[in-house]
Amino acid sequence: MEIGVLLNADSAEADELVALAQVAEDNGIGIAVVTGNRHADAWVVATWITGVTDRIRVSVPPRDEPFDPAGADSAVPAVLAKAVATLAALAPERTLPPGARWTVVDADADADAGSVRDAAGAGIPVVPVHTAGDVTRLRPLVAAPEPEAPAGRPHRSALALAQRMPGIAYDAVPAGLAARAVEPGDPEHRAVASTYLRGGNPGLVLRPRTVAEVADAIAFARDHRDIPFGVRSAGHGISGRSTSRGGLVISVGAMDSLEVLDRSRRLVRIGPGRTWKRVAQSLVSHGWALGSGDYGGVGVGGLATAGGIGLLSRKHGLTIDRLRAVELVLADGTPVRASDTENPDVFWAVRGAGANFGIATAFEFETSVVGQVGWAQLTLVSTDIEESLYRYGQIASEAPTDTTVFLVTGRARQGQWVVSLFAVVDHPDPDTVIARLTPFLDLGQLARQQVVMTAYPGVMANAVDIGPDGQQGFGEPVSRSAFIPELTRQFAHEAAELLSSDLVYFFELRAMGGAITEVPSDAMAFSHRSPLFQATAMSSSDDLLSAEWDRLRPHFDGLYLSFETDRRPERLLDAFPGPVLERLRRLKAEYDPTNLFRDNFTIPPAELPVSTMAGGEQTFETEKAA
Amino acid sequence: MNDYGHDLLFGSFVTPVAQPAQHGVDLALVSEQAGLDLVTFQDHPYQPSFHDTSTLLTYVASRTQKIAVSGNVTSLPLRPPLGLARAAATVDRLSGGRFRLGIGAGAFWDGIARMGGRKLTPAQGVAALREAIGIIRDAWDPDQQGPLNHEGPFYRIEDGDRTPYAHRPIPIWVGSYKPRMLALTGAVADGWLPSIEYIDGGLPGLADANHRIDDAAHEAGREPAAVRRLMNFMRASLVPTGQGFLDGPPEVWIDRLTMLALEHGISTFLIGGDDPTTLTRFGTEIAPAVRENVAHARR
Ligand SMILES: Cc1cc2nc3c(=O)[nH]c(=O)nc-3n(C[C@H](O)[C@H](O)[C@H](O)COP(=O)(O)OP(=O)(O)OC[C@H]3O[C@@H](n4cnc5c(N)ncnc54)[C@H](O)[C@@H]3O)c2cc1C
Repeated sequence: MEIGVLLNADSAEADELVALAQVAEDNGIGIAVVTGNRHADAWVVATWITGVTDRIRVSVPPRDEPFDPAGADSAVPAVLAKAVATLAALAPERTLPPGARWTVVDADADADAGSVRDAAGAGIPVVPVHTAGDVTRLRPLVAAPEPEAPAGRPHRSALALAQRMPGIAYDAVPAGLAARAVEPGDPEHRAVASTYLRGGNPGLVLRPRTVAEVADAIAFARDHRDIPFGVRSAGHGISGRSTSRGGLVISVGAMDSLEVLDRSRRLVRIGPGRTWKRVAQSLVSHGWALGSGDYGGVGVGGLATAGGIGLLSRKHGLTIDRLRAVELVLADGTPVRASDTENPDVFWAVRGAGANFGIATAFEFETSVVGQVGWAQLTLVSTDIEESLYRYGQIASEAPTDTTVFLVTGRARQGQWVVSLFAVVDHPDPDTVIARLTPFLDLGQLARQQVVMTAYPGVMANAVDIGPDGQQGFGEPVSRSAFIPELTRQFAHEAAELLSSDLVYFFELRAMGGAITEVPSDAMAFSHRSPLFQATAMSSSDDLLSAEWDRLRPHFDGLYLSFETDRRPERLLDAFPGPVLERLRRLKAEYDPTNLFRDNFTIPPAELPVSTMAGGEQTFETEKAA
Repeated sequence: MNDYGHDLLFGSFVTPVAQPAQHGVDLALVSEQAGLDLVTFQDHPYQPSFHDTSTLLTYVASRTQKIAVSGNVTSLPLRPPLGLARAAATVDRLSGGRFRLGIGAGAFWDGIARMGGRKLTPAQGVAALREAIGIIRDAWDPDQQGPLNHEGPFYRIEDGDRTPYAHRPIPIWVGSYKPRMLALTGAVADGWLPSIEYIDGGLPGLADANHRIDDAAHEAGREPAAVRRLMNFMRASLVPTGQGFLDGPPEVWIDRLTMLALEHGISTFLIGGDDPTTLTRFGTEIAPAVRENVAHARR
């Protein structure tokens, strides 16, 4: 069985501890934990052990006192963290994974494996040793076999099992999901832990492939209300917390098929896990496209439940405007189909607030006919960002609806802003494309231009494919969103002030209008039909950005939830104006009364008549949010 | 003429880059193979592309047999003195006396503050270093019994543990340039560890700095020879680039290093550049010739 030795620098010198570790390795012991510091520095001893042995893993319990600069024996936490990372890099596989739990067990000479295992609980037993004899005495324990995995479950090493996190009933994972489930100790965990923009360390990732498995996974989530729960399709969530620390993730990334249902009506059925890049590639041979966003790596599941403001939107509407039916599994595990004629309430809600109502397993869209389009990436340098923004606002909103231009900028460098324009002109004639783009060219000094005639996959090709290492985002994105009814001089002025501070490293204006405005605002939960622009600002400081963004609020009319990470309760009303929110809350009470789906703009369920109330929990949350 | 008569040491000054992970270890092994006496590493914990130098030094020492290791120079504000003393004593014991403590008051204060360290003014930094060196020596002193207590303007210790040195006092080498730091170096350090590129005023500037150290040593009642004079050469190249002090074929290096040893008392030469070939030729061709020249001149 897996067992460790505890080497105590309070009671022995460094060289004696290293010698004990060598004896431990020679006796098949896999782990040496070094503690104490009265005679030697535990970290140095542990590092030294990795240098002079071949297999044994080392660990030093983290010091968790806060740093006191006047404390001559204090340690800077960031320096300690760096030391850990350095040893892990210098000696791969030779340090105990940070999440691995161990328990000190005083095993006396005749201790048997069972009692030692019981004493260690969920951790790996680690036995204090002071002499070589103490170490060799552990040989029978080392030789004892590990317990078998439960029937039908993959085998995991003791080290992997020791990385399981509290509050998760790992052995209760439904059998069909167990083979593909990823736990913290699994080699694949690193590839599924983080998303594109967010670092994470989930306790369990379930990866269903069928509707029935999704229902099973949801049942598991229902039994785990005390840990964070996120739903993931392609992991490009910003508002959507599709990863967490210690929580449960249901990833439907593998449900990524695409099939043509009806050629004459251009109807296609797409799984949530497919990226928009791959959607575009599959549709092009039919001469079709589905407007998505501006980045091909984004997934169908996250975008088509929220909106989809993209580079074809002014001509073809939002992505959700092309949705004809959706299938999802509700909080109670029921699969439902929703369309104008089946569960129309759900259909209404999913198109803008889908993350609150279930896990979408299939989307049916009516695609648009899109041939060659003009696709331009222009880089301009501006010394007067206020003027550039203002003029962009004029030109982009007055452009014909076949022309959709997004503007990206950020911090100034030496008084200059780099302004990137991303433009699609849905017109097959190159001269028309040039004519449409020309007005944009003098928003600044043109530094670089790339204009091509291409099919829509050429526009979505900007995203790199995610390889077996998965996505490696870190930290938490800090993003703000707003709809701008009209890009006024005053807004341009204040936005320019914001961009003159160092605060915002990414600022984007997405032009709207055109076909987006043709849908009545009460047709779906996404109700922001009239604004001419959507603005996004990203920063590294949540507090500072909140303060600055709040000052701009007079210019705003609501927000697009997908780009908003602010969790202050007022934001809910920005995403969903009063009557919309009221309807959503009633539907939430009906379809997800316990608020199981809560990772993305949680809508508090409306209070139900006492007779139909399912429990006390949601009442509390409703009151809090109301 | 200013030769302190120290034995000559030759070594490398390696960038502790984290990618590739084994970069520093490999260059340490090259250094040892080349017969160099020392391998030293910069210490900039706030530099994200670098390893933790303290861990790297320990690991390198565990993978080598003869070569001595040192930070060049350790950032005191991010490595408080009692813990630093303990780590140093531990590596020194395990390595059979191959640890040297190159230390500095701290540079790049914004980086230090970003990492969570204490931002001091330059003057405070000097005073804190002096206090820290006192603490470190106290912690290492095998003649001291009982817990270590200290109450100073920058550091406090209540019932601290001592970690006596196992072999001989570990040399403390201070990185310094400005008058206050040079004075501290002369007064308390076992060595002076600057980089030639940062010494203002070229060789006259070097002579001036040496004088300041000598004066401070005298004032503290020590012999100037108590302070070894080391020197980093960050830009050292065997093909002329017109950039560094060591710039050209081995003969050029040999002449210049001999001159530095005999005329400026520099007795330890640490070269940067992270180039295995240069390190090898430094250890196998250049170092023996400089040793011979200096031995000859000293006879
Ligand atoms: C680089 C980048 C560019 C973007 N550009 C645009 C753009 O131009 N226009 C635009 O409209 N948006 C854009 N977005 C926002 C994007 O649409 C959302 O972040 C979206 O949620 C990402 O979907 P995903 O499946 O990749 O993300 P995931 O991280 O997998 O999911 C995000 C959230 O969506 C919900 N969700 C995911 N899958 C499902 C499902 N199957 N059923 C129900 N809910 C689900 C969950 O709440 C989840 O937390 C962009 C995002 C990024 C990172």
